[in-house]
Amino acid sequence: MIAPGPVRALCEAALARARSHADVTLAEVRWVRQRRESIRVLDGAPEGVTRAGSAGFAVRLIAKGAWGFACTPVAAEAAVLAMVDDALAVALASAPLLVRRVAFPPRDGARGRYETPVVVDPFSVPLDRKLEDLTAPVSALLAGGPPIRSAEAWMTFTRVEKLLLTTEGADLEQRLTYGGAGMQAIAVGDDGRAQRRSHPASAGFEQLQAGYEVVARRELLANADRVRAEAIELLGAEPCPAGAREVILGSSQLALQIHESCGHPTELDRALGFEISLAGGSFLQPPMLGAFRYGSPLVTLTADSVAPGGLGTFGWDDEGTPAGKAPLVLEGVFVDYLSSRETAASLGRASTATVRADGWNRLPMIRMVNVSLAPREGTLEELVADTADGLLLDTNKSWSIDDQRLDFQFSCEVAWEIRRGKRVRMLRDARYADVTPRFWGSCNAICGPSEAQLWGLSTCGKGDPIQAMQVAHAAPPARFTGVEVGHS
Amino acid sequence: MSAAALAELIGAALREAGEPEAEIHARDVRRGYARFAVGELCQHMQLVEPACTVRVARGKRVGEASTTALDPVGLRAAIEEATRVAERVPEEPAFPGFAPPPSAEPTLPRRYAESTARATAEERVARLEPVLRAIRDAGLVASGALETRVEHEAVVATTGLRRHHSGTVAAFRVWALERAGGPGAAGHGNATSIDVDALGLAAETERAIRDARAGRDPGGIEAGEHDVVLAPDAVAELIEWLAMIAFGAREIAQGTSALAGRLGEAISGERLDVRDEPLGALSLAGPFDREGTTRAAVTLLERGVARGALTDRLWGSRVGSPSTGSAHPPSAFEPGGIGPTALVVAGGEAESEAELIRQAGHGLYVRRLHYVNGMLEPRRAVMTGLVRDGAFRIEGGALGRPVRSPRFTDSVLEAFARCEGATRARTLIPNWWSAAGSVAAPAVLLRRLRFSAGSR
Repeated sequence: MIAPGPVRALCEAALARARSHADVTLAEVRWVRQRRESIRVLDGAPEGVTRAGSAGFAVRLIAKGAWGFACTPVAAEAAVLAMVDDALAVALASAPLLVRRVAFPPRDGARGRYETPVVVDPFSVPLDRKLEDLTAPVSALLAGGPPIRSAEAWMTFTRVEKLLLTTEGADLEQRLTYGGAGMQAIAVGDDGRAQRRSHPASAGFEQLQAGYEVVARRELLANADRVRAEAIELLGAEPCPAGAREVILGSSQLALQIHESCGHPTELDRALGFEISLAGGSFLQPPMLGAFRYGSPLVTLTADSVAPGGLGTFGWDDEGTPAGKAPLVLEGVFVDYLSSRETAASLGRASTATVRADGWNRLPMIRMVNVSLAPREGTLEELVADTADGLLLDTNKSWSIDDQRLDFQFSCEVAWEIRRGKRVRMLRDARYADVTPRFWGSCNAICGPSEAQLWGLSTCGKGDPIQAMQVAHAAPPARFTGVEVGHS
Repeated sequence: MSAAALAELIGAALREAGEPEAEIHARDVRRGYARFAVGELCQHMQLVEPACTVRVARGKRVGEASTTALDPVGLRAAIEEATRVAERVPEEPAFPGFAPPPSAEPTLPRRYAESTARATAEERVARLEPVLRAIRDAGLVASGALETRVEHEAVVATTGLRRHHSGTVAAFRVWALERAGGPGAAGHGNATSIDVDALGLAAETERAIRDARAGRDPGGIEAGEHDVVLAPDAVAELIEWLAMIAFGAREIAQGTSALAGRLGEAISGERLDVRDEPLGALSLAGPFDREGTTRAAVTLLERGVARGALTDRLWGSRVGSPSTGSAHPPSAFEPGGIGPTALVVAGGEAESEAELIRQAGHGLYVRRLHYVNGMLEPRRAVMTGLVRDGAFRIEGGALGRPVRSPRFTDSVLEAFARCEGATRARTLIPNWWSAAGSVAAPAVLLRRLRFSAGSR
């Protein structure tokens, strides 16, 4: 049992309270407990060792056709009953402003339990060992001194335990464990120009749903010399020349590309206009389903909440929909959305199981799961060898895309110029810009399964108030033509 | 729980633990959040956000633990967890100890309004009803949010430190849209105050409707340099990013900040003055940071010259200066650390945006920016972003045809060196990604900001 007995009893009491109100037609009571450890070593000294805990209850309900939501951290019957009353009051107050009553398709509730397979429980590993696993790579990054100005390594582990009980009969327990480790070096030249090089990715993409074994998998120490050397080499590199080029995106950069230009625009709440107050809308509108050419025929992108190790993997989403796998873009054609029960029903479809909240005190909403590019064939080196004149861009540095998810510009920590199938020189401050369907439509090669690394991000921001969610992307390096590149 | 009761609770936990060196910071936030979209109130939430961070020191070894359980059992568990960490981590030689009590409590402008603290779900609905009706009657689609928030904060330490504060925030954001979720014209309004009665929902709604109507059938712009009048929201977004990449002692020490090695040098134009003024009128902040240090007024850029950096106690000790009271607690997105609290950009002489538009003659007027990113080349503060919710050509000194979402990419410091005017009035803009922090900014006229064509 994941939820302690008294917690389950409180959730049952809250559910009974909701059932007792004649106006309530649906109620979901959830309990969430989170535990997090974050360790950061900066220039040889611990910059922060933090252990965080969070626990509480929430209820989402429909009364008189309107949603209500309330929450409490207090594990006492009076508190959870008051929480239900608060949510009911919010729903009843909101009902007069409805244009349409909430249409929530009924379903029998599922019962079950899901737990992340963990080899080594990260919360059982001694702190000394964790510090050692970070201090060694930082020392290696700093070895030799200038022009390396600063070096940093970090690891984060999160455990989320939750119980969902609903008036439909759902009784679902889940225990999810996430973690990752990464590092970076900053080199500063005599002219004051700074260059950063990160491993295994940047922007927090180093996480997996796994135990402490993820640290060994990230091979920080084994990569420290390379990272240090590349940071220094970037100081003397030429800026990326401007022009339309053929580009290969490395795996972690492609993961962010998928995230921003496929993951977010396929969120159905965005497309329908429910996310304007923070994130924006989507160019992928419902009439385009099944007909719009999003990418070249090579491009298949899938919403997958069952992929082993993905941060978007679970047993059921926070509406009780079982995890699964569904194409969003099939051989270049836009075919489905990331959806919830309510939004999918508005299009006559079934939910693609994507609804999650980032904690007990937030409303569940559509979130990316593992949105991944289907691999084709070959290795990255074979793809480079097959490129006559182009660029290989890797490790994200900056990201920006418009509120409809069309016009994007990304920059990368490192670029290599490719001539006649070989990397001939490193370039700095490379950025590329394009429009989503033109870019994906130009995709002419995708590497095979051996190159499809899975990148997990725990801070995907969405919602209002904003929520940080765990998502992931499997991303085999891929090649695109006619992409505008330049430097900052 | 009142702020005084919160201080009493965490003070008692600290006494009971008997730790010789420890500090507890706690916040208890209640938020009524009415989010509307597609013309109706669709996400109305009653949120509670308790948070407590404990630090325990064993000499120069410091452990930290946080909890959402603001009760004696939860606090005791967090203290024990922080103690376990403190017993195992290496020493931090620069750790200066926990903050002492302040010599005096500063006098703050009013930060608490009963009208906001007592706002109910019914009141929020009643305030939003005319907003939704006005936008619907205009043939447009409403989206946005109305929040009423009350915050209680306290910090205690074994040094004798004991401080507490209560504040309220009311925030309103509204969009009037040509279409619900897809491409189309959009107008935006927003207002923030401690007092929900002072928000002026009708005026902001009217502004959103006006811009949405004027924004229909936008055209493109030519790639290249354009003179721009940036409204306060757009300026605030740039300055917020500048703060993230440039003003912290850590970024300066690492050499990535535009201020690194340049304190006392001109790094932008004479019209760019940026200060952090947490205790001033253009702020929503309480008097102390998470360490209990009184928040200081810090001049960061003075007439374009790099003047100062933000620190907490540890980084102040490392760089040999006192803490500026800029320590922030961890959030879902960040581990906690140094940041500004209430940035204030100096105003100019212009009486209105219209005066700047006349001065510009020809160019672009930008209401808001979208998805700005300042990580391209932080040392030069090169940023990129798009415009959103109202961008218009300036033709003959007046607003002209709408333009669609062009992208700029430029060094913000270099762009402000080409600033030729600013409004006297500033607008307070809360950070969109965090409940903490704000920027008070004027509208400005920048010459020759670099744009790409906008490829949509």
